[in-house]
Amino acid sequence: MFTFWEIVLQQFINGLVLGSFYALVALGYSMVYGIIKLLNFAHGDIYMAGAFTCLSVYSLISGYMPGWLGISLAMLAAILASAILGYIAQRVAYRPLLSAPRLSLLISAIGVSLVIYNAVMVMTNSKAMFFPGGINKSTGISYGHVTITYMQISLLAAAFAAMAALTVFISRTKLGKAMRAIAIDTDACYLMGINVNAVISFTFMLGSGLAAVAGGMYCVYYGNVQYSMGYLVGIKAFTSSVIGGIGSIPGAMLGGLLLGLLEAFGTQMLGSSWKDVFAFSLLILILAFKPNGLLGKPEVARM
Amino acid sequence: MHEKLKKTLALLLAALAIASFAAGCGGTNSGGGGGSGGSGDEEEILIGVMVPTSGSEAYYGTDMYQSYMLAVEEINKAGGVLGRKLTLLQADDGCDSNIATSAAELLISKNVDFVVGGYCSGATVAAMQLYFDEDLLLLISAANSTGITQLGLDTCFMLNSPGSHAAVTLADLCKSVGSSKVALIHNGDEYPQNLSKLCEDELPKHGIEIATVQVVDKGASDVSSVVTAIRNAEADFVYWCGYHADGSNVIKQLRQGGYEGDIAVGDGSASVELITACGDAGEGVYVTSPPFVRFAEGGDRFVADFKAMHNLEPGAYATLAYDTIYVLKEAIEKAGTLDTGAVKDAVQNINYKGLSGTIKFTPDRELEISNFIIIQIVDGDFQLVTI
Repeated sequence: MFTFWEIVLQQFINGLVLGSFYALVALGYSMVYGIIKLLNFAHGDIYMAGAFTCLSVYSLISGYMPGWLGISLAMLAAILASAILGYIAQRVAYRPLLSAPRLSLLISAIGVSLVIYNAVMVMTNSKAMFFPGGINKSTGISYGHVTITYMQISLLAAAFAAMAALTVFISRTKLGKAMRAIAIDTDACYLMGINVNAVISFTFMLGSGLAAVAGGMYCVYYGNVQYSMGYLVGIKAFTSSVIGGIGSIPGAMLGGLLLGLLEAFGTQMLGSSWKDVFAFSLLILILAFKPNGLLGKPEVARM
Repeated sequence: MHEKLKKTLALLLAALAIASFAAGCGGTNSGGGGGSGGSGDEEEILIGVMVPTSGSEAYYGTDMYQSYMLAVEEINKAGGVLGRKLTLLQADDGCDSNIATSAAELLISKNVDFVVGGYCSGATVAAMQLYFDEDLLLLISAANSTGITQLGLDTCFMLNSPGSHAAVTLADLCKSVGSSKVALIHNGDEYPQNLSKLCEDELPKHGIEIATVQVVDKGASDVSSVVTAIRNAEADFVYWCGYHADGSNVIKQLRQGGYEGDIAVGDGSASVELITACGDAGEGVYVTSPPFVRFAEGGDRFVADFKAMHNLEPGAYATLAYDTIYVLKEAIEKAGTLDTGAVKDAVQNINYKGLSGTIKFTPDRELEISNFIIIQIVDGDFQLVTI
């Protein structure tokens, strides 16, 4: 039925869509790590909260306006809500511990994760919620046996637009420069008069907002959200950012896309039960040769 | 590490629940009987109920518990069993092996006389040995992995048809729609994996080829690469062996990914929620289903009573749960005592005609006659299919 190249192309598309989710979530992990060396384990749950906000808001307003407007507004609400959640988490659970050993911060992050996870579980009665119908997802472009739906195209476009905007923001704006400066040397930034706390807060909000973009895309595309959805994506996104070189923005994107593609081709070549074995074996291999990740820089001990 | 901590927390919560029971504030969880939740009462027969009321399968667990409540209320109104009233004591197994063992310990510590329940096979298997060690009779209403009876614990009976019956039903369905190449998908859980394996063994006996067997992660979002693999294997029939939340994802993405053949889902997905979750993609999907109440003989009265009591529609396992209590009642009355050995023998020899069909056990304590039916989503609702 499929020719060899059709299979390759189709799995490439599948992997790209999956990878763009990982990449968006991985960015948040990577940015936060780059700035305060914290593995923010609550990030997957913030992604989940974003998906829930998107779905709830859309269910509320979808009757009153055209679908695309409803989705855009719901997405905006999700980004806002997640950004606020990220800010609160940072303010309450992380900032008081900034000078503490990094391990305490990590435990704090796990605590935040549990709080969000269980709060949503209780609020939703641990039931899955479903996206109200009305969006035609099955139309798209076909070439031979290969299909890519319009939904997939817009998802990819949205993901890449978000990543491009972030890159421009970090490299061209003053705030972006401040973020990079803090990543290099926090103490020097204090001395230079940079408002470090404000920049850290902003980084959390930015990362959470990107996670919410992924969460919102998830609920529109897959149509259902569950309180446990953040766990798997969180782990995969964390892996992505390590592979790309944690702390590196382009690395997180590359790592996410790579992991998505590896999973897709692993499924094709070895079957779905072995896809993780395949993907992670290759990832171990990459780390064996590039211990700092694909685009990570070796840590230089500062005197 | 992350997940472990979540589990640890769940265990802690369970421990807290036990503590609060011990402190005597557990009254909310016992019901159906005379109203008082006291377990030391000589007059009452205390039935432990182990079902998931939290987690992904909470819907089914709650549905089953509500059905038990209905049966118990009816029996109590009619004078109880051996002149004694029935009281339920519920414990949440969370569809999780760890939580299930704490649930079992909770029920055992409350000196329950019998235990009913069991929705998720994995959680049920984890708790069974504990009941067996305490010489407690366990009537399993819904969980139906053949792994349960293979443990050989002779106080545990399975009132739902085992997966092997579903495999036969699936073979009949495939033949009737003219499919010859079937793709199986499961999610690695105890029952779905068991069902997939049973189908793998059964279908070739009917001349049906297994095109491919695929696994998706529990809670995984994107299965498009699995869809491509299935299309590439040229399957003309896809059978989803898992539960409905992930199942809706699989169905939608099969259709999005351009798969045009027939789709069927196993009994784990037999829920009206499947219809809502799938939307348009669900049209035409078959379900090898447990005895759905609205297609059961005498089901109307049950639905009406259930609605009157809970203001809700009964779900897919309500009939089995309802029958479970009546089987227990009949067995106790035949035995004339609450002694586990005597009641166990009575259950073994029972021949009860209930809402879910004829309940009669093989020596392996499995149901003798299959209770599976085939239903299909037509115009956004389930319809009975006769083949």
